[in-house]
Amino acid sequence: MTVTRDDDGVIHLSGSCPVEDADTLLRLLGDDPAALVDWRGCTAAHAAVVQVLMALLPALAGPPAGEFLQRHVAPLLG
Amino acid sequence: MNEFLEQFVIEVRDLAEQAADDLLALERDPGDRDRLDSAFRGFHTLKGAAAIVEFAAMGRAVHAAEDVLDAVRRGVRPAGTDVIDASLACLEAVRGWLDRIEAAGDLPADADAAADALVAGFAAPASTPAASPPAGDQGWIDDLRPRAPDATVALRLIPDADCFFRAEDPLALVAGLPGLAAVGLAPRRPWPAAGDIDPFACNLVVMALCRSTVAAVGDHLGPMRRQAEILALAQDPAGGLPAPAAALLQAQIALARVEGDNLAGRLGAAGRVAANVLRRLGRPTAAIETALAIGLDAGDPQPFVTAVEAALAGDARKAAPAAAPGTTAAARALRVDVERIDALVRLTGELTVVKNAIGHAAGMARDGGDARPLAELLRRQHAMLDSLTAELQRAVLAIRVLPLRHVFQRFPLMVRDMAATLGKTVQLNIEGEDTEADKTVVEALFEPLLHVLRNALDHGIEDAETRAARGKAAAAQLVLSAGRHGDQVIVAVADDGAGIDPAVIRRVAAARGLAPAAALDALPDDEAIDLIFAPGFSTATAVTDLSGRGVGMDAVRTAIGRIGGRVTVASRPGAGTTVRFALPFSVMVTRVMTVEAGGQVFGIPFDAVVETTQCARGDIATVGRAAAFVLRDRTIPLIDLAEALGRETKIPRRPLASIVVTEAAGLVGALEVDRIGAPLDVMLKPLEGLLAGMRGIAGTTLTGDGRVLIVLDVQGLLQ
Repeated sequence: MTVTRDDDGVIHLSGSCPVEDADTLLRLLGDDPAALVDWRGCTAAHAAVVQVLMALLPALAGPPAGEFLQRHVAPLLG
Repeated sequence: MNEFLEQFVIEVRDLAEQAADDLLALERDPGDRDRLDSAFRGFHTLKGAAAIVEFAAMGRAVHAAEDVLDAVRRGVRPAGTDVIDASLACLEAVRGWLDRIEAAGDLPADADAAADALVAGFAAPASTPAASPPAGDQGWIDDLRPRAPDATVALRLIPDADCFFRAEDPLALVAGLPGLAAVGLAPRRPWPAAGDIDPFACNLVVMALCRSTVAAVGDHLGPMRRQAEILALAQDPAGGLPAPAAALLQAQIALARVEGDNLAGRLGAAGRVAANVLRRLGRPTAAIETALAIGLDAGDPQPFVTAVEAALAGDARKAAPAAAPGTTAAARALRVDVERIDALVRLTGELTVVKNAIGHAAGMARDGGDARPLAELLRRQHAMLDSLTAELQRAVLAIRVLPLRHVFQRFPLMVRDMAATLGKTVQLNIEGEDTEADKTVVEALFEPLLHVLRNALDHGIEDAETRAARGKAAAAQLVLSAGRHGDQVIVAVADDGAGIDPAVIRRVAAARGLAPAAALDALPDDEAIDLIFAPGFSTATAVTDLSGRGVGMDAVRTAIGRIGGRVTVASRPGAGTTVRFALPFSVMVTRVMTVEAGGQVFGIPFDAVVETTQCARGDIATVGRAAAFVLRDRTIPLIDLAEALGRETKIPRRPLASIVVTEAAGLVGALEVDRIGAPLDVMLKPLEGLLAGMRGIAGTTLTGDGRVLIVLDVQGLLQ
């Protein structure tokens, strides 16, 4: 699993998140719109996943692990 | 320019010409299947040619044209003006690139933007994709630019909503872009409420700036290229050198400028790096290497610094738009009939035979053989050599012969554009374009012909209403023809327009003060019409875009006169006008020595000049009216040139006479002149009319500044 929610309600993105993760992430954030998304372990994310982050702008714990995400995507979600 | 490129330029010119021809024919008759097929094949071949030299931008542009023409062939798209216009624009761009390749010897580096515009021009007007962003909206670039000021390419990718289902990831694609410098993301439509978001429908617009080329970015996108907008950004101040290269060169300048010991070591290292950088970019390094050598020699870094700065700035100049296509008329490459080359090969063989025979004669002379057979042998070889060199001269001149197609082929498009500008319908018919003439003549024809065609379109051909009122066909006929008549080539431009009214010409000529009204009235009509060639004459009542730029038909007459031709005009009021150029088939360039005598400049053919000398006036012996002087124990008759030509000698006699010793047909004689000037290559024009047969004058020629130079016939003078 690349999208998980821990017992504290924090959503973790880890590794390379495929397109299916968008649906999972959307559902988890739908359940708890105030949830923190920790993507420090995320090396890459499909555009669909990034799109969910953009649309809902959850609170993020970063920076993400992937260089592209860190340099080019994270600043757009800040 | 390497061989591949040379061949490429030659072939592509021909192909583009043929394709333009086909397209124009197709425009006249959209149902012409053969022309359509031929145009399609033309673009297909152009695409192949572009691929061979790896000219990707041109490849893309002609590929787009090929696709559209294929759609027309399959009946999917009509052969409308939009298709013809876009295809012709594509060919025009190709020609522009060819001109620049010829000028620079290399593929143009900034053709991508033009190619993109051309490709965009082929988009079907009705089926513009909904996702296509409005043109001119480039605010997004300005937003991204501060994050990557040195980026060279901007990309905006608007993926289809269902692209995720095709396993496409636009973001991953962008992440892998070559030279990625900045990324922007935006929703294509406002985000819906959280509950309504479809996670698998792409609603992203992805923007990016890259330090790369439009072509490389396009290639990287692959199939998604269709959903993207790629723009070349205005070049940064470092003149189009990639930023790292520019930075490296700057660093070498800094290194060379460091004060201290070991200048040679530092300069040498900086020079090596700078040359390597330029070499890697395929730029010339000779200037830097020369400057480096000079600088090392003088212990001064400045020449090197200047050369590197020029390399940094020079490309900015090169990136400036090249001269407008159409102004470069000189063809650098010639297509030569293989028979003419074979003739040269044969002549070379025969020359070798003569060379061997002369070697044999030299052997005989060395061995001290009998002089008589030796002389006979040499005489025979000389005769053979004489005829061979004459033949060689003819063969070489024949290579310089070009078909007039070379210059004619540029006109169909230009006439079409000019006619469109003027709102007139004109059909240009070209006849006899295979007629050949000397390269010099063919290449000098472009501007005069363009001017005459412009005049015909502007002043000769009437607008549609006037033509209809006069019962003429709506489409005016303009005929550009050429033919060989004896040793002359006749080129004519004929229109079926309004013709020239001699009465109007007389009135204008009188108003311009070209001649008194009474004299003008006495002129026959044809001579009155000829006044259009008089300097300062122009009948245009309104100055239009096309004509009336202060260049009159007199410029045409001068230009044609310079290549030894004549211009005449014939006109029937109401029926049309024909302007005719009578041109020499071959142009003989004669080298002359210019001399002044009696205040006039004359030319003496160089092959008649033996030497120039000076002689004290007291040493000139006069015998009656004749004079002579002694040169190396030989008495040589001396002719005062000014006197011989009946000119007053106003200049006081100097104590030393300037003398040109000449020889013609075995006669040796000397000419006294006032001054001996520079040598000059001229195209000799035989005397005509009243002056024909005048003794002592071989002909006249126009100098570069338009003055008449009289070339002397030395033989005639000496007799």
